[in-house]
Amino acid sequence: MWVYAIRRLLLAVPTLIGASLIIFAMVHLAPGDPIAAVMPADATQAEIEATKKAYGFDKPLPVQYLYWLGRVAHGDLGRSIATRRPVIEDVRDSLRHSLALAVSSSLVAFGLGIGLGLLAAFRQGRVLDKLASAIAVVGVSVPHYWAGIILIIIFSVQLNWLPAMGAGSEGGLAEYLRHLTLPTVALSLIPLGVITRVVRSAALDILAQEFVLALSAKGLWHRTVFFHVVKNAAPQILTVLGLQFGFQLGGSVLVEAVFSWPGTGYLLNLAIFQRDIPVLQGVILVLAAFFVLLNLTVDILQSLVDPRIARH
Amino acid sequence: MAIAVAGSVVTAVAHPPMSYWRAVGWRLRRDPITLAAGGLLALIVLAAVLAPILAPHDPNAGSIRLRLAALGTADHWLGTDEQGRDMLSRLLHGGRMTLLAGLTPVLVAFVVGTVLGVAAGFVGGLPNHLIMRTMDIFYAFPAVLLAIAISGSLGPGLWNTLISLSVVFIPRVVRVAESVTVQVKSLEFISAARASGAGIGQIMRHHLLANVLGPILVFASTQVSLSIILAAGLSFLGLGVTPPAAEWGLMLNTLRGSIYVNAWVPALPGVAIFLTSMTFNLLSDGLRDAMEIRS
Amino acid sequence: MKRLIAVSALAVLALVFATSAFAQGHLRIGMTASDIPYTGGQTDNGFEGFRFVGYQIYEPLINWDLTRGDRLPPLVPGLAESWEVRKDNPARWVFKLRKNVKFHDGSPFNADAVIFSFESIKKRDAPHFDSYGSAQVSFRLTALKGISKLDDHTVEIDTGAPTSFVPYQIVYMVIVSPAQWNKVKDWRKFAEQPSGTGPFKVTRFVPRERLELEPNRQYWNGKRMPKVDKLTLFPMPEPTTRLAALRSGQVDWIEVPPPDSIPQLKGAGFQVVTNSYPHNWTHTLRLDKEPWNNKLVRKAANYAIDRVGICKSLLNDMCIPATGVAYKGHPWFGKPKEVYEYNPNKARDLLKQAGYGPGKPVPKAVHLISTSGSGQMLPLAMNELIQKNLKEVGLEVDLQPVEWNTLLTRWRAGFQAPDNQGLNAWNISWNFLEPWSGFGRFFHSKSVVPVSVNTMPYLNPEVDKLLDEAEKTFDIAKQDAILARIHEIIVDDAPWIFVAHDLNPRGLSPKVRGFVQPQSWFVDLTAATVR
Repeated sequence: MWVYAIRRLLLAVPTLIGASLIIFAMVHLAPGDPIAAVMPADATQAEIEATKKAYGFDKPLPVQYLYWLGRVAHGDLGRSIATRRPVIEDVRDSLRHSLALAVSSSLVAFGLGIGLGLLAAFRQGRVLDKLASAIAVVGVSVPHYWAGIILIIIFSVQLNWLPAMGAGSEGGLAEYLRHLTLPTVALSLIPLGVITRVVRSAALDILAQEFVLALSAKGLWHRTVFFHVVKNAAPQILTVLGLQFGFQLGGSVLVEAVFSWPGTGYLLNLAIFQRDIPVLQGVILVLAAFFVLLNLTVDILQSLVDPRIARH
Repeated sequence: MAIAVAGSVVTAVAHPPMSYWRAVGWRLRRDPITLAAGGLLALIVLAAVLAPILAPHDPNAGSIRLRLAALGTADHWLGTDEQGRDMLSRLLHGGRMTLLAGLTPVLVAFVVGTVLGVAAGFVGGLPNHLIMRTMDIFYAFPAVLLAIAISGSLGPGLWNTLISLSVVFIPRVVRVAESVTVQVKSLEFISAARASGAGIGQIMRHHLLANVLGPILVFASTQVSLSIILAAGLSFLGLGVTPPAAEWGLMLNTLRGSIYVNAWVPALPGVAIFLTSMTFNLLSDGLRDAMEIRS
Repeated sequence: MKRLIAVSALAVLALVFATSAFAQGHLRIGMTASDIPYTGGQTDNGFEGFRFVGYQIYEPLINWDLTRGDRLPPLVPGLAESWEVRKDNPARWVFKLRKNVKFHDGSPFNADAVIFSFESIKKRDAPHFDSYGSAQVSFRLTALKGISKLDDHTVEIDTGAPTSFVPYQIVYMVIVSPAQWNKVKDWRKFAEQPSGTGPFKVTRFVPRERLELEPNRQYWNGKRMPKVDKLTLFPMPEPTTRLAALRSGQVDWIEVPPPDSIPQLKGAGFQVVTNSYPHNWTHTLRLDKEPWNNKLVRKAANYAIDRVGICKSLLNDMCIPATGVAYKGHPWFGKPKEVYEYNPNKARDLLKQAGYGPGKPVPKAVHLISTSGSGQMLPLAMNELIQKNLKEVGLEVDLQPVEWNTLLTRWRAGFQAPDNQGLNAWNISWNFLEPWSGFGRFFHSKSVVPVSVNTMPYLNPEVDKLLDEAEKTFDIAKQDAILARIHEIIVDDAPWIFVAHDLNPRGLSPKVRGFVQPQSWFVDLTAATVR
């Protein structure tokens, strides 16, 4: 198992480097002169060259890439061109909010999803199964940004129960949680659907295995069978949970846009329209790194639960 | 029954594709939900394709004095948008854009991904490693993030959206294709076929493709709904299709400000995305069940 | 696991219904800016920056009097008690500074501070040069060539050639605390702990989220001591978000509510305040390239726009049609020959006259627009309509939206900058608070980039002569007459597509009292209270 873990860890490094290459290429694909924001209109050519040098934009692209990578290894993500603040600060602040949203949304999606999925599997073919499956399909099909807008209309504007935007960081925890509620619901819909379906499918697979049928015929319904199902479905479910958490962390842009939730998605959105290259590079890299680490963790956990995987 | 089974197994070796796919078709026809979804999808596609004929008004023509008319207004049954353009016409034309932006990347990913993935799986060794590790790099990004990052760099526009979404989906198809190919390659009846003297080409065609294309197709079909939601989402952020084009995501964006005047008309494009997405999901579910594919 | 979820769900539900109480007298404002305006002194985000940050934390030597809404605001003493041009040398102005004024950090305001602030904008090699702040404001201060200290409370400004525009430019230069800057020696750090002389001081700065301020209890002007206990600013570029925030009680004041929502807001008991102000929403055209280098084409564009439709139907009467730089009734309006109105046929005729038609279409134009911003009103909706209007007469325009501050940055660099080579116009709203902002910076040949913002560039020797004359005229009535003559020429030349004058709608909660909306881009927040 350790061999597997170390192998996976080592594999993550070139993956991340490859990802960083793609990020750098993507961001510099974009047209536009990034330093125009810091220069006075009557800057002389010399001053422009000096500023370019300070940001490192005067060097050829491959060299710029290596410099950036080198600084990243030291935890320095550069400075935002729009605000002149260190990118790492902005990323850290916004990551906190995105994590809060991803965690709360995951709690809802995982909890409900696993519950509904198991319920559907154990009551296969009956009304509860059909209901749970219907909920799942709806969850997977709904555009979550639209769901967010509907939620705002109902709960914020019509009923005035919950706030429509922001993170409410001026109040205490209670205020923060109030602001967190609607974005959480919106973001959890798709993962809820996915998880319900995967759990149902995995559970059904295991239930269909012959010896489980034999077990249940003996009258050992529920508890033993339940745990058996859960234990055997765990690897598959773990993978999906990991992927979905990644989706909620890295894919929260649309929900954050609707609710003005000050997370990494909001930061990314702003940086795109401001053409703020250091911020773009920094945010995407951090999110990708998170995602890679997440997949890594899930894979290792999986190999723990199901040793067969490590042998593959 | 056993004889019939044995018979069909024997026939399977000789003509696997035909009776397999026939069986799939038979199962599909018996599933009411899949049929209903298929019907709805056919309607949606038909409506989109025939939009120029069906639409009662020019989707770009509007009078601002008529803006934000409610549902059921005479001559504008689904109301008008914030520029006074007829919603029904825009929804019909918008369907074309959304379907195009949603289906094309998955189609491209299906073709390119299958070729790359099957090749990697079949050949194995170093080429497999190279291809799969490259795909791993793209897998380092959640789909939404990658789509937004690429679109953010390339800029808005239909072509850029298609490119960015294709880049998002190809690695996913490659992974599934490679994994299925590797599995099937090692199945016993392949070696049996080989032993019976069948050539590589025959093996590829009859066994590999039949057993490989199925799962890939099912997987690709599950991605369509995500692709549609992403394409509309990009337009929603201002990174996809540009105004004044009619596209459901863009319509959601521009109508967003009007939810306080009239909550229903702005909700319509979202309903359209939702319905289309759901029909694709139900269809792909039915397909998977009919093909008896395990995830 | 399931029990945990159940408990959490209950807890969330309980908290959902708990209401949070804010301290009495806490004014919370939702701005259209997408981030907090630069707090280091010479602020960004255009006039919204001045409105909520620049003029609240800092002050210039001369202020606008924003306390009344029934007249255009006059200039009144700010940090300078008096000023006058020297009789023996009309290119020198002497400012007598106010005594016993302290910065927020406690250090005294004096001539050194004024010189420090001036150098932070103008003196490139000074250690305290603020390259970012300078970029924001130096194009407004073209007449101010040099400064010298006469004594601790007197400075003298050198303008090179005599100009009556000095007070109008001084009003844009705010004074920062040298003592505070010297403590941190870095503008970014200074921006996190700003120190000015204004009625409000910063208590908390959360990037991209909020700026918290409280009254400056040492403020020198007792008549303008803030009445609220606390002021918080939120960036909210999305109109729907702002509206939702106001309606749900998250903020008490929003800029630019979506015009569609105004009847409902009023019905629900909110206050919607408007007032005319020197505002002009236009497309500033590039005059050295096709298609806008042809005067007939420009006139055609001006006849193609349905201004009444925009103001009445799209914006719910929150603007009035614009047919020139100033509006009818303003002393500078004059009697222009062209009276632009919605006349697509006339537009098509003009294009035919210019030699364009089905065989020879007008080349496509690319216009840079913003997604939000102070004075920009509803840029996306309005521009979509304008695009349609122009298309109907045969003028194809591509819209490129960027973030507001980005648009301002690219504008200041001019059309000739490599980034902007493919553009044919910018959609930026202008002010005409005084002759320099209204005309001088745009229409004089010496205002060409990089000196100021004549980006088009508009080069007309007759207008140059008239502007020079206006600058030398210290008599207001005579100056107004000259400016009216300039206005007539400008309207005829149509270097802009004139669209609308905004009426500056704001949405206020019924709890906000005491606020008077001036005929200005700026506001005085000190009289407001929140019950």
